[in-house]
Amino acid sequence: MTGDPAAYVAGRYERGSVVAALVIAACWHVGYDLTALVVNWSVYRWPAAVAGSWLAYVVIGVVAAHALLRTRRTPGAVWGFAGAALGIDVIVLAACPAGEVLGPGDWSWGSIGWLGVLLFWWRRGPHELIVFLVLNGVVMLTGMALNGVLDRISLARFLMVLVGSVTLQLGYSVATHALTSAAQRAAQLSAARAEADAARQAAEQVHADRLGRYAQVRKAAAELLAALADGADPADPVLRRECATGAAWLRRLIAETDDVPDPLVHALRACAYDAERRGVVVSLLPRGTVPELPLDTRRALTEAPLEALSRARSEARVTVFGGAGEVVVSVVADADDFPIRRIEGIRVTEHREGEVLWIESRWPDR
Amino acid sequence: MDREPLARPVTVAVVDDHPIARDGIRTWLSRDPLGRAELIASGATIESVLRGPGATADVLLLDLELHGVMVIDRIAELCAEGRRVVVYSGHEDPETILAVLDAGASTFIAKSENEQHCVDTIVTVATDRPYVPPMMAGAFLSDARPQRPRLSEREREALLLWFQSMSKASVARRMGLTEATVRQYIDRVRVKYAKIGRPAPSKAALLARAIEDGLIQAHEIQEYRSFAADPESAP
Repeated sequence: MTGDPAAYVAGRYERGSVVAALVIAACWHVGYDLTALVVNWSVYRWPAAVAGSWLAYVVIGVVAAHALLRTRRTPGAVWGFAGAALGIDVIVLAACPAGEVLGPGDWSWGSIGWLGVLLFWWRRGPHELIVFLVLNGVVMLTGMALNGVLDRISLARFLMVLVGSVTLQLGYSVATHALTSAAQRAAQLSAARAEADAARQAAEQVHADRLGRYAQVRKAAAELLAALADGADPADPVLRRECATGAAWLRRLIAETDDVPDPLVHALRACAYDAERRGVVVSLLPRGTVPELPLDTRRALTEAPLEALSRARSEARVTVFGGAGEVVVSVVADADDFPIRRIEGIRVTEHREGEVLWIESRWPDR
Repeated sequence: MDREPLARPVTVAVVDDHPIARDGIRTWLSRDPLGRAELIASGATIESVLRGPGATADVLLLDLELHGVMVIDRIAELCAEGRRVVVYSGHEDPETILAVLDAGASTFIAKSENEQHCVDTIVTVATDRPYVPPMMAGAFLSDARPQRPRLSEREREALLLWFQSMSKASVARRMGLTEATVRQYIDRVRVKYAKIGRPAPSKAALLARAIEDGLIQAHEIQEYRSFAADPESAP
C-alpha cells in the first residue's frame, strides 16, 4: 500500500472502473457481436473478412487491456490502433449487402466505441475519444450514403444507435474518471484534516509545556529579580548562591527542551558549563545507557544533584549511570548542605566528608 | 590497603612522549613520603626505554598515545614478555579501558586521577594485586559485551558508589560495610576481569596472588586455566 491515502483510494477506484470497462467491452463483443456474426454468416459478401474483423477487435482489445492493467499508460501509436478499429468498421460495412446496412449483421459500428473508451482511457480529457466516436459516425454515414440508404427511417435508426452507444461509451468514460478524481479529492481532504488535527494537538501540548516552563522560570528567577530590584546587596554570599542556583534552573529549562539523543546528560552538561564559567572544575562522566525518561522524571532526578553542582565552590565530579532499569545521578562537590526536597519516585542520598558533599539521586526509588 | 614493608623501592620505567609529563611523574614518585617507588628509566618511545635499564623495571608506566598514535596493540606484546604494564591516558572511555585490560595491562589510570593514585597504583601493581581507580569502575559498570563477567548485586553496587568517587570509607558507610569488605568487592571484580580476554602472565600473576590473599578460591580459577591451556576456546 502506498503511503498517500489519496493516491491509494484513487488507485482502487480507477482499477475498478478499468476492470468494469473491460468486462463491458468483452461481454458486448462476445455476446452481441459474435451472435450477429454467426447468425448473419450467410448474408455477408465475405464472411471470412468479417470473422477476421471480429478477431482484430479482440486483438486491439487485448492491447488496450494490457495498457490498462499492466503498463498503466496509453499504448504507443494509439491512433494506429484507433485507425485499425475504424478499419474494422469499414470492412464489416463493406461486407454487408445494401439491405443489411444498419441491420443486425452490421454489428461493428455500435461496439467499436468501446475500443475507443479503452484505448483513450489514460488521456486527460475526453477530446480524443469524442473525435474517435465522431469519425465512427462519419464512416457509418458515408457507408449509408454509398449504399443509398439515406431515407428518413434509416437516418432515424442511425441516430438512435449512434446516440445510444455514444451516450453509454462517452458517459461511462467521463463518469468513472470524475468518480476517481472525486474519491481522490475526498481522501486528500480527509488526510489534510487529520494533519490539521495533529498540528492542533501538538500546538496545545507546546502551549501547555510553555506555561509549565513559565511557572518554573518564575520560581527560579522572579523572587531573586524582585529582591535585586528592591535593593538587595549583590555582594551578599547568600544572594549570590541563590542567583547561581536560579541560573542553573534557567539553564536547565533551556537545555531540557532541546531535541538531543540523551536529554538528561545534555541538561547536566549545560549546567556543568555554567559551573565552569564560575571557575569550578567539573568532570562529567556519563556511563552505561540512560533510558528515555519523561521530562518530569528527568527534572526530579536532577534537581538535588544540580543544586549541589550550582553550590560547588571549586570542584565537582558529576556521574551518570544508566543500566539494569535504573538511572543514578551523583555529584561530589565542595559545597554547603542544603535542604533536599522529597520527590515521589526518586531516592536522594546525602553524605558529607569534611568539605565534600556527596549527593546521589536514583530512579526508580526501590 | 595492607602494605607489607617493601624490601627495596619499586623500580619504574616511564614511556611518554611529553618530557613535562615524565618530569611530573618523577616529581610525584619523589614526593612519596615513604619513598616506595623509584624512576629508573624514561623516554619518548617504548624501544628507547626498553633498551636501557628500563628493560628490568618492576613496572612499566605507559602513555597510551605516543606521538599521536594509540599503542593499544603494543600492550599485549609487552605483557607477554612478563612486564607489569600500567597504562595511563586522557582517553577515559570505557571501550579503551576494557581493551587495555583485555590486552593484559595491570591497571589503567585516567590522567584526571593521576596524582592522587599514581604511587599507590605502582606499589600495588608491583605486588600483582588488583588496583581499581574510579574510572575503571565506571568502565566495568558500562561493560555490555557478551563475555563480561557476571557480577553480584553487592559488587555492582560497590563499583557504582566507587565510580561516583568519594572515598572507600564513604562507600563503606553508605553500604553499611567495613572498608576492607568494600575493597574486597571491588578487587574481586578486577580479578574476574583477569579471567577473560587473552591470557597473559600479568593476569596469571594477578589470579595467583588473589588466591594467595584469599580474595578468590582456587576452584574459581579453573575456568581461566582451561582458557589458558587452549587459547582457541578463550572467549
